[in-house]
Amino acid sequence: MNRALLVAHAVLGFTAVMAATHHAAHAVVAALGRPQARALRRFGWIAPASVVAQAIAGLLLYPSYRLHVRAAFLERTAPAAVQWFDLKEHLSALALALVIGAALAGRAAAEGDAPRQQRWSIAALSSTGAAFLWAAAVIGLYVTSRGAG
Amino acid sequence: MTPDPERTLRAALAGIAAFAVGYLLPGTLQLPVLVYDPAARAFSVARVVQGVSMRYYGDLLVACAAGIAAAAAAWALRPRRTPIAVAAGAALSLVALDVAFYLSRLLAAV
Repeated sequence: MNRALLVAHAVLGFTAVMAATHHAAHAVVAALGRPQARALRRFGWIAPASVVAQAIAGLLLYPSYRLHVRAAFLERTAPAAVQWFDLKEHLSALALALVIGAALAGRAAAEGDAPRQQRWSIAALSSTGAAFLWAAAVIGLYVTSRGAG
Repeated sequence: MTPDPERTLRAALAGIAAFAVGYLLPGTLQLPVLVYDPAARAFSVARVVQGVSMRYYGDLLVACAAGIAAAAAAWALRPRRTPIAVAAGAALSLVALDVAFYLSRLLAAV
């Protein structure tokens, strides 16, 4: 059960990273003055849906990690990896708020003719959220490699 | 009906700012939050965690509640005085403050 959940968490995690990155790229292009209404509408639901789904999978896995990985051996064998994992969790939580906020604002801006300042604000939120998800994914791979090794 | 882009963006910015504050404060001030003990499979409310107990669920719950409440308030009250760039800068600064705090904890520990 946990192994299947771990695989689902990884797949959903990379889906979230890619969707949020697409949203950020389209938000930046829209801020530069080239309308991206269709893409912002499309990734305006794919990105938050995938981020929420991967967060739920992660939250379900967390007790098992705490008990069978962290307390069982990671704190002893790789204490630095434990600290990095904590940072990953914090970045993921902040990305959750940023991606949902940017997606909602991006969808609303796609419907109307939002001024330049608003488009850049959405691009900043979306890009920060995507960057946090990338960092969380890389840290997650590092911690998994330490846990498996 | 087309949603007002500025109203939606301001609500999102208020939500993100409140989420960042609500995520950071309970842990740093050791406020009582929901704590889960995976060994005993039991929830409780506590200020500090011991053993394998974890406060991540509680911190996230507080942050989500703060974010949703602030976004709903901004949506209902329609604040328009602060320039949007300033509001976005403030929200991202609060997020950056969270990251700086957690990075400092990481660097102090490793």
